[in-house]
Amino acid sequence: MYQALLTRRYLTSKVMPLLASAAVMLCVAMELITWSVMGGFLNQLIASGRSLIGDVEISRPQSGFPYYDELIARLEADDLIVAASPTVDAYGLISLGEGQTSFCNVKGIEPESFDAVTGFRESIYWKPIEEPLPKDDGRVDPRLSESNEDVYRQLQTFGETLEPPERADLPPTPLTVLGLEVFSKRGLRTDTGILERDVLTQRELTVNVLPTDRSGGWLEPVARRFVVANEFASGVFEIDSRTLYVRLDELQDMLRLDEAERVEQGGVLEPIIDPETGEVTGFGSPESVGIDPARATSVLVRGADGADIDELRERVDAIYSVFANETEGVPPAAFVNVLTWEDRNATLIGAIKKETALVLFIFGIISLTSVFLVLAIFWSMVSERTKDVGILRAIGASRLGVAWLWIRYGLAIGAVGTAMGVGLAFVVITNINAIHDWMGSALGMTIWDPAVYYFTTIPEDFDAAKVAIVSAAGVLSCVIGAVVPAARAARMDPVRALRFE
Amino acid sequence: MIAATNISKTYRLGRVEVPVLRGASVAADDGEWVAVLGASGSGKSTLLHLLGGLDRPDPGSGEIRFGETVLGSLGSSGLDRFRRTRVGFVFQFFHLLPELTVLENVLLGSMVGRGRLGFVRERASLTKRADGLIDVVGLSHRRTHRPAELSGGERQRVAIARALMNDPPVVLADEPTGNLDQVTGGGVLDALSTLRESPGGGRPRTMIMVTHDPGVAERADRVVRIADGVVQAEPSRAEAQAE
Repeated sequence: MYQALLTRRYLTSKVMPLLASAAVMLCVAMELITWSVMGGFLNQLIASGRSLIGDVEISRPQSGFPYYDELIARLEADDLIVAASPTVDAYGLISLGEGQTSFCNVKGIEPESFDAVTGFRESIYWKPIEEPLPKDDGRVDPRLSESNEDVYRQLQTFGETLEPPERADLPPTPLTVLGLEVFSKRGLRTDTGILERDVLTQRELTVNVLPTDRSGGWLEPVARRFVVANEFASGVFEIDSRTLYVRLDELQDMLRLDEAERVEQGGVLEPIIDPETGEVTGFGSPESVGIDPARATSVLVRGADGADIDELRERVDAIYSVFANETEGVPPAAFVNVLTWEDRNATLIGAIKKETALVLFIFGIISLTSVFLVLAIFWSMVSERTKDVGILRAIGASRLGVAWLWIRYGLAIGAVGTAMGVGLAFVVITNINAIHDWMGSALGMTIWDPAVYYFTTIPEDFDAAKVAIVSAAGVLSCVIGAVVPAARAARMDPVRALRFE
Repeated sequence: MIAATNISKTYRLGRVEVPVLRGASVAADDGEWVAVLGASGSGKSTLLHLLGGLDRPDPGSGEIRFGETVLGSLGSSGLDRFRRTRVGFVFQFFHLLPELTVLENVLLGSMVGRGRLGFVRERASLTKRADGLIDVVGLSHRRTHRPAELSGGERQRVAIARALMNDPPVVLADEPTGNLDQVTGGGVLDALSTLRESPGGGRPRTMIMVTHDPGVAERADRVVRIADGVVQAEPSRAEAQAE
């Protein structure tokens, strides 16, 4: 009982314990902030795969694979799978005119099924919104304007469907949805978070891609003009700055992956002879020997909520193997990749995991200074309180009781410091982007460059498990720091302690 | 009865051995007030610490008995319990805990003797007893004050109340007036004397008080002198009168 009373009084009567608590607070906050940001970065990186490839991707770059509709039907019949969508991927050079060019991943999609797998429609940027962005206090975002609502609604429809409007006079120009950061020159991030550059919708751009023949050799480049129907913002810089969506059939056509007649290679073309003159006027078409079905380079798969990702990948792999065995002309399973986003980025994700562990370890070592700080402060306090120890022993306190007094004191300092550290970390983490913006505007410091760290905002993952682990470590470090001084206090000779000056 | 028989105590200062008590013997009957009179450095405080179980005599140098209990036979926890329940210390320099109030300082002994639950369960009665002791030493108006806000005499009164909180049969007072002026010291001795008396009117508590002041020693039932670590008995007043 006296330990509780004295702990309370010792805590509030001197500056030293508050300094020790402050040290613990800083260590706990540092660990939590680091872990939350790096853990959040890792989680968001893994989760971001869903906005690009869903949960699992079956892919065969360049030449792709046929009969993907049948494969999708087989996939969607499985309980673990809720949706699948074909895509065609190619690298392309896009030009906006006036010398503005960019290398992009041109992705041919079927908007509806692609949305079911990746949530693509959620990422459409130019659409009416009701709530302003967090920092848009003046509601200057044009998307909030009711007078623009019809225009934005139309843009949204174009973006979501990629269906060009019917025109009586001219054939419709195909549409594209462009990543919001493709032409932003990394300048999207502003104080308000609102896009501050020219709106690109309705502008035309040229997409250049290189089709390949069956042997993988390049054919003539193909250029086609598209109208920017809308832009998208997935929040993943790597995706938003390098991706362009067009309709699947459009890109299949450009890359010669669309359905086509197959002719016999090396066949002799029949000459066309003018019956009147008897002269050869040309050569006939080669004889058709069948139809080459359209091809997709990938099929993206979305698993059911809560499905184990590894189990899902194995299931997809198995379904593809059966499909390949049963369908003529489909490349065998060994020739395609069945990968999750994590698998595709295993090197990067593995490196980040190791980096996170390493940083936590280093900060953990740094945090050990709090153990020595508490030890030093307690050593000094035990010396200062030597007479108190003598008094307590004189009125019958046991050695164990005296030791417990100091360990309990360490526990209290650790608990107070940890609670403050968790509070500080919570405040910092929940406002980390605002703090970063303030540092940028007031101090000219930009630590988080989205071009380097993938995401346009600093991710965070402040969860109870991390708080519990770091808190336990914070309190434990104080207790460890208090053990040696506590043992010293317990071993004190009460007579000498009473005579201590 | 509490008695020390032929005890010696040697302190070691580095490589130098300093004998403080050399075969000292002293005894106090139940209810008796014995004053140990001696000059500074004569070993009287050491004698008191040994009697109170704060320290142990040199091995094989004699024994200290409290009733049937031989203190030398008690282990560390046994001595802790002995100090908690059998003796109350009053020190020259008061030795109050500066962070605690008067009431908390007085209650401290009862907190040490009980666990948290035990104390909480008896808090009301213990607080009542502490308040009663504070009242007897005349500090009711100071119960929430800290030691730094009290005069020397008031601090010593708090120390006396604390020593008696657990109702010990023996009070060991080490120069209780040594740090006070004569008038204040007289008041403190009065308080000690009053609290030594049993509230039921029975036999008073045993008290052994060490002092260098013959005037203070005069108030005891019996005075023993100590010089160079050796106790020289003097007849009690009753024995002197009988002679």
